[in-house]
Amino acid sequence: MHALVQGVILGVLTGGVYALMASGQTLIFGIMKVVNLAQGAMVILGAYLAYQLFVSFGIDPFLAIPITTLIMFAVGVAVQLLFLRPLRREDRSELSLLVTFAVALLLEGFMSITWNTSYRSINTGYENASWTVFGYQITQVRLWAFLLSLAALGLLFLLLNRTRFGRAVRATVQNPDSARLLGVESDRVAALGFGLGAATAAAAGSVYGLLYPFNSGSHYDLISRLLSIVVLGGLGSVGGAVVAAVIVSTSSAIVASTVSPSWSEMTFFVILMLVLLVRPQGLFGTVGRGAL
Amino acid sequence: MVSQSNRLRLGVTAAFVVGLISLAACSGTSNGSGSSAKSKPLVIGASISLTGDFADPGKAVKAGYLLWAKQVNAKGGILGRQVKFKIVDDTSSPSQVVTNYQNLINQDHVDLVFGPFSSLLTVPASQVAKRFGYSFIEPAGGGPAVFDAKLDNLFFIQPAPVIKQGEVFADWILSLPAAARPKTAAYAELDDPFAAPIAEAIRARFEAAGIKTVYKQVYPAETQDFSPIAAKIAAAKPDVLVSGTQSEDAYAQVKSLVQLKFSPKFMYMSNGANSPVEFPSKVGASNTTGITSSGDWFPGSTAFGSAAFSAAYIKAYGGTADTIDNTSAESYAAGQVLEEVAKKTGKIDNATIIKTLHSGTWPTVLGNLSWNAIGEPKGTFHLVQWQGGKLVPVYPADVAKAKPLYPKPSWGG
Repeated sequence: MHALVQGVILGVLTGGVYALMASGQTLIFGIMKVVNLAQGAMVILGAYLAYQLFVSFGIDPFLAIPITTLIMFAVGVAVQLLFLRPLRREDRSELSLLVTFAVALLLEGFMSITWNTSYRSINTGYENASWTVFGYQITQVRLWAFLLSLAALGLLFLLLNRTRFGRAVRATVQNPDSARLLGVESDRVAALGFGLGAATAAAAGSVYGLLYPFNSGSHYDLISRLLSIVVLGGLGSVGGAVVAAVIVSTSSAIVASTVSPSWSEMTFFVILMLVLLVRPQGLFGTVGRGAL
Repeated sequence: MVSQSNRLRLGVTAAFVVGLISLAACSGTSNGSGSSAKSKPLVIGASISLTGDFADPGKAVKAGYLLWAKQVNAKGGILGRQVKFKIVDDTSSPSQVVTNYQNLINQDHVDLVFGPFSSLLTVPASQVAKRFGYSFIEPAGGGPAVFDAKLDNLFFIQPAPVIKQGEVFADWILSLPAAARPKTAAYAELDDPFAAPIAEAIRARFEAAGIKTVYKQVYPAETQDFSPIAAKIAAAKPDVLVSGTQSEDAYAQVKSLVQLKFSPKFMYMSNGANSPVEFPSKVGASNTTGITSSGDWFPGSTAFGSAAFSAAYIKAYGGTADTIDNTSAESYAAGQVLEEVAKKTGKIDNATIIKTLHSGTWPTVLGNLSWNAIGEPKGTFHLVQWQGGKLVPVYPADVAKAKPLYPKPSWGG
């Protein structure tokens, strides 16, 4: 029982971080019907940026987030303008797989050259501190990471629901043609939306670097998890991504705690398969139109 | 048609003959100009991972080779011949490494070859060397697969095969008086040929000696969160924790145990914990105290040529003795072995090397090395322990610089 509860605590806290990464991924899909295979690489790039700011200037990774999100927002906009916009609308979904994979490899190469292939981790000095609550260990950095992810998701929610830009984004997701007819500049929304997705990757990257060691190749593991989360939650649904992220990390943490770490990755894929058999559109996905 | 092709063949043959004659003439003139075999440089070929997964350790191998070459050349070379390395990049790829050694041997006609980094690359590379009758002195391929091939031309330049790395920890624990020995043990093992078997070898000896196994877990390489494993270890409260680790998983295990505030009385990690710079930087220097691991070269070692190696390394690459990568010491030792063969036999060719190294002991910066018929080293590693923020050899007594510290103090102590 103790191991089970400890597993749930770990899973929920970690789930928050994955939710942040996946929200960007699902947003990009929702807006442009682009499956962004570079999202994992962007998270790792965000982690490297936070690492560099910490090592060179002593900036705490949490405080570095405004800087790294701005940089990654610009990277995201640039990627959209340079690589995705030129694609023809009709085959954008299919081609975007190749193009974003190429972007992922490009980023990986850039990171290997800049920081070489050794694993890095951001060691702030407080990364091992933990509280004991009723006999359960709560790692401080995980709790901060979780709270930060919640705050970032809250901001994203406000942005999507309370601003003009957000309304334009939602309109584009739900019905791109009508949105265009009503005067939404879909190209601009797409560029900014991609930037926003990259910015969430940067925020999640700072936190990821605090929790786990990473190198330029870490994005392969990440992207497979992210895609699964996004599919489980329903493509294009930010809320679905959050719920799915928590399910993923909680189920794998519980299995790791109570059965064996060897089965933990597998468990999640079993859940994914079962859900897709019953609900092919994912937990919160819709069939006809966008889900945002 | 037929006649045309015959004419063509004739032409080619003629060109070939002319080429041969001119080649012979060339070599004749070069001999004539007084260049003897003795003053010709001794070219050693090696394929090293300068890019790809093994780029970092690969560079450490290269640093050791080149440092040795510089040292030996300053002393007048080997049997009067200057040592030259021809190093090519294999991008950490097992197929490229084969191409590289074939080219080094058949096109570049290097005199000797040294090994690449990792068992993964050593296995195919050693086969190429064997096929062409080259000796294969290699400092960085000690996994079971390397010796499974049972090659007689291969010599692994480390004190023992990788899976025997943990024997020294078992030796030490079992040498303690019965009252001081741990009663219970936990094992956390990375599912990797270089990690789990080391811990398993220790477990076999511990169980035979009556140390009870209270927890054992093999974890896959993708494991990111060690909290579940650490929680189970903490719940089992073992006296000794034996971790079959590589690098990142070692750091993560320590971090998780610190977070759970569980500190066993004895702790051994096969790898990761023996990295002098990375380990304290990843887990925090104050958390290292009392953790043991296996090592071969260490700063302040009195082994053959060690002081000179250390001084030359710092001069060439900067840093301090504590930051010298063991991998460089191992590749440097490969050169030392070669030097000793030449000194002993007065010859430096592949057949002599293969014949000579199978008997006797050979002094290196890693201590005295000797090999069995298939190139497995017959020695043992040293037990190293973190004390006062430094990695110190503590067992066996003849190499120890300090007494082993036990029980291990709690984290941060």
